[in-house]
Amino acid sequence: MSSVRFRTPQSAAASLLVPLLLIAITALIGANGTPSFQGTVTMILCNLIVVIGLQVFVGNSGVYSFGQLGFATAGAYVAAFLTLPAAFALLQTPGLPGAIVDAHLGALPSTLIAASASGLLAMVVGLPLMRTSTLAIPISTFAFLIVVYNVVANWDRVTGGSSGLVSIPTTTSVESAGLWAGAAVVLALAFKWSASGYRLQATREDEVAARSIGIGVMRERVIAFGISGVLCGIGGALAVHQSGVLNPTTFYFGATVTTMTMLVVGGVRSVFGAVVGAIAIAAVNELLRGVENGASLFGAISIGEAPGLAAIGLGLILLATMIAMPNGLSGGREAGELSWLQRLGLSAPAPPPQPQGAVAGRPRVDRAASGALHAKGVSLAFAGLQVLEQIELRLEPGEALGLIGPNGAGKTTLVNVLSGFQAPDSGTVSLDGVDVTGRSPTRLARDGLGRTFQAALPFPELSSLESVAVGAMGMGLGRRRAVAVATDVLGRLNLLERATLPAGSLPPGSQRLLGIARALAIRPRYLLLDEPAAGLTEAECEELVAILRDVLADFGCGMLLIEHDMSIVMPLCSRVQVLDDGKTLRIGTPEEVQADPAVVESYLGSSFLAATDA
Amino acid sequence: MTELGQNLIDALALGSLYALIALGITLVYTVMGMMNFAHGEFIMLAAYALYVLAGLPFGAAVAGALLAGIAIALLAERLAFRPVRNADLSAQLVTSLAVAAILQNIVTAAVDARAQSVETPASLSESTSIGSISVPNLEFLTLGLTLIVLGGLGWLLYRTRTGLAMRAAAENFDMARLLGVRADRVIAIAFAISGALAAAVGVLLVMQTGQVSPTMGLTPVLVGFVAVVIGGFGRMFGAVVGGLLLGALSSLLGVYLPDGLAPFRDAIVFTFPVLILIFRPHGLLGGEIGKARV
Amino acid sequence: MLELRGVRVGYERIEVVHGVDLSLAQGEVLGMIGPNGAGKSTILRAICGLVRPASGEAVFEGRVLTGMAPEQIVRLGLALVPEGRHIFKTLTVAENLRLGARSGSDGDASMEQALERFPILRERARQRADRLSGGEQQQLAIARALLGGPKLLILDEPSLGLAPKMIDVIYELLEGLRDEGVAMLLVEQNAARTIDFCDRCVVLSTGRIRAQGSRSELQRNPDVLRAYLGNHP
Repeated sequence: MSSVRFRTPQSAAASLLVPLLLIAITALIGANGTPSFQGTVTMILCNLIVVIGLQVFVGNSGVYSFGQLGFATAGAYVAAFLTLPAAFALLQTPGLPGAIVDAHLGALPSTLIAASASGLLAMVVGLPLMRTSTLAIPISTFAFLIVVYNVVANWDRVTGGSSGLVSIPTTTSVESAGLWAGAAVVLALAFKWSASGYRLQATREDEVAARSIGIGVMRERVIAFGISGVLCGIGGALAVHQSGVLNPTTFYFGATVTTMTMLVVGGVRSVFGAVVGAIAIAAVNELLRGVENGASLFGAISIGEAPGLAAIGLGLILLATMIAMPNGLSGGREAGELSWLQRLGLSAPAPPPQPQGAVAGRPRVDRAASGALHAKGVSLAFAGLQVLEQIELRLEPGEALGLIGPNGAGKTTLVNVLSGFQAPDSGTVSLDGVDVTGRSPTRLARDGLGRTFQAALPFPELSSLESVAVGAMGMGLGRRRAVAVATDVLGRLNLLERATLPAGSLPPGSQRLLGIARALAIRPRYLLLDEPAAGLTEAECEELVAILRDVLADFGCGMLLIEHDMSIVMPLCSRVQVLDDGKTLRIGTPEEVQADPAVVESYLGSSFLAATDA
Repeated sequence: MTELGQNLIDALALGSLYALIALGITLVYTVMGMMNFAHGEFIMLAAYALYVLAGLPFGAAVAGALLAGIAIALLAERLAFRPVRNADLSAQLVTSLAVAAILQNIVTAAVDARAQSVETPASLSESTSIGSISVPNLEFLTLGLTLIVLGGLGWLLYRTRTGLAMRAAAENFDMARLLGVRADRVIAIAFAISGALAAAVGVLLVMQTGQVSPTMGLTPVLVGFVAVVIGGFGRMFGAVVGGLLLGALSSLLGVYLPDGLAPFRDAIVFTFPVLILIFRPHGLLGGEIGKARV
Repeated sequence: MLELRGVRVGYERIEVVHGVDLSLAQGEVLGMIGPNGAGKSTILRAICGLVRPASGEAVFEGRVLTGMAPEQIVRLGLALVPEGRHIFKTLTVAENLRLGARSGSDGDASMEQALERFPILRERARQRADRLSGGEQQQLAIARALLGGPKLLILDEPSLGLAPKMIDVIYELLEGLRDEGVAMLLVEQNAARTIDFCDRCVVLSTGRIRAQGSRSELQRNPDVLRAYLGNHP
């Protein structure tokens, strides 16, 4: 298994220790604990599985869903239907088809079927919901939760209505709950570290940049939503086989708040956080419930019964966490990544990968670039202002074209049009003869068009290696090959040294280079760079020029460079196109353009020229 | 014909109620960019204020409920939402969830988890006849109140200096501050009005159902969210349209749904906006998600 | 009047302004020029409280601005006309103006004054602000900023997107303001005009001041061109 971030074999093992510990501890409790304690622990484990399910979607996508407990409900009811003894089934759920009534499945098969059912439901619901905008997802999933409640509470003949079901066989033992919980942790980690998981995390870090490297945002969200549904369904099924009763409010608003609190307090971005949060909050909950039932403080003050106190306490904890500690107890790290473990020497950041072969060697470029990137007659108006007017631009493979012009000339807008982020009012953009006008950025990335962004930080929480590898994964490469590609690209850009540390910790110059590396990971035929030298020191600029020259030679791609800094443009670009006020002012060699009075005037104004002549 | 007329008025009344909820949520959304989960609990608390003050003359009790709604909204803003004002939208959403849970459970702890009944003036359960249509007085009240609210809100927003500041802040918060508009004041006022609107809805709900329960705020807040979403985020007009549509749909479904499906009315009503969102992700009237910055 | 000492500003984790010192005297017109991305707008935002400097401070008439909220800074007598104007498109011209004015009869009088000085706005008073042309919007933005009676007017690229003739009108206006003794900090990309107009100019590039001086000093200074177009081979 190639280590991508913090994971040396030791730290991966440390992270996987968690599920093993869970299983071991529950085995111990099973052997030695009182029945009531076992029952409590089992419930905690069932909650834990649901929280992990929540984490898989919310933590990796960065989008909050308030409907996941609807899948727990679904799983619970399906499991109940399949295991309810015939006599009770006839009484409580007369509307169920005979085949289901007669099925008396054991714990395992009923849980598996429940998981499949809720997973299927999640895919069905997820497909339309993930098409809505990022802000609408929390609301639509909340609606889903209430729809589920409504259906279940009113479909009396099938679900027993609002009184619910009783006498469900209690088959969940603490050991089996422990096993399922351990499996859930492993599944969640496996997903997080899979190609799909990385792609999803990229959308969390920067949705726009993710699209630009070919990641299908909706697709990745649906996948995570489905897995989340499966896990929540398992949690629900196990829970119902622990308590033996089920009604529509079992997994409704209160449970949503509780599981959300567990996840947020533990730390949304890591599975370890989900585990920590679930256990911590469960403990607090038990404590507060004890107080709820009447307790005496220090033998002197006695607090009477106060139902709802536990929930208030939990709500306050959630509130406090959002205000003071938004990253939760785990800080978003997995067990193997904890800093104190590193200080103890039990885990360490992965060493930077070794450069593969000779850094300067020519790679096998997967795409043979043949035709040009050609924009013709491109015009675009915004709010009454003509931002681009009849722009023609031609970029041949292997050449570097500089795009300069004063502020507001339309350069970034043009790049947005070329890369699919904006559709022109008129005109066409073609790649190698194929009309690609209006294609989405994701599609264009797959066609071989890469770009960087002026202001964006590379995915701050992922390591450099992960950020770049994600680009290759966006092209459909498996994780191992993606890491190989990323190592190669990072080696060319001299970024290998800190490749396994979070990208957000790099100095600004390196972050710029990382943005370029990320775009290179998709093996672009055409690379659009938006002010790559902005904010770089002179030394960094020189390094950038050398790197870009190598990229041109090795990748054979066409390079469009928006730049103000002529010290970058001059040595690199064979041609320069000057935009002013949305129109092309001049196309020529860098020397021609620099000496052109019209160009100087567009930047500095005519009287300046006159003054310097004097 | 009479029946149709009756049904239309019922639909309009329900739609007005939903519009009031949606307006309350939109107000806060336009100045803060946050969808407030706790709005439902503002409604619930105001309703409970009415329950607690039931001994007083009805007018006084309603006034008490109004004050309660405003007070709780301002308190929530000051204690819970101000510290996370600059956090990202997800964080604000979860914070409002926390506030909602806290408020709901405070009432559960202080009163009871079960519903309590509230006595309301008898005149409100009666109906008045207009021609051949008999309209429940409560619906008159709802419609009348909504019109007054719309008028009042319109006056506030378009004819007062404060309203001007609020509209400016809603369009571009930073620029408004650069002109001296006080951020804290504008947000507090938005919350106060939102609380007042919630109180109105709470009172109307009590008069309609005759009871209060700690979970009574959940469906209204969902209704409000959905109405805002289908109307288009951040537009007052959109919120009203969304509310009316949703109310009309719900009411008409209540009448025309076949008996077998009748209990599933809510489920159908809430599935409908998802369909709208698929085809028009920004709502029927479009809207700006996120706010303009200088 | 206004002094910046060692101001460093960053966004997220990238530092954009690397320690800038500048000062503006009473009634002075100071220009800030330089290419895009130099950090000019960032400095203005830091002065007005929209973004907090990582270190350093801005002082206005003895009061430290750093850490104050924008609405408080504006009350001290500063006004910003931001890049892109940012007039409120959903409000009418009159409403836009009223936002800048103080309340009460004081405000009414200054509104009247504004409409006198900008006749085109009186014509369009009842129209929605998004119906105005670029130049008219710029006038509206300036009028609105002036309504508070500021001692220091800060303008971020007032000529952006305007036709040359319109730019002349705007600069005439600014000339009039200078005569009235209003201090101004003017950020522009068009170097020549700015150097010509301002008492002094500061040339900014990649977050640092590269040159500064009066009109005559800068017009002979090759560093200015270098800041924009890089070194000549």
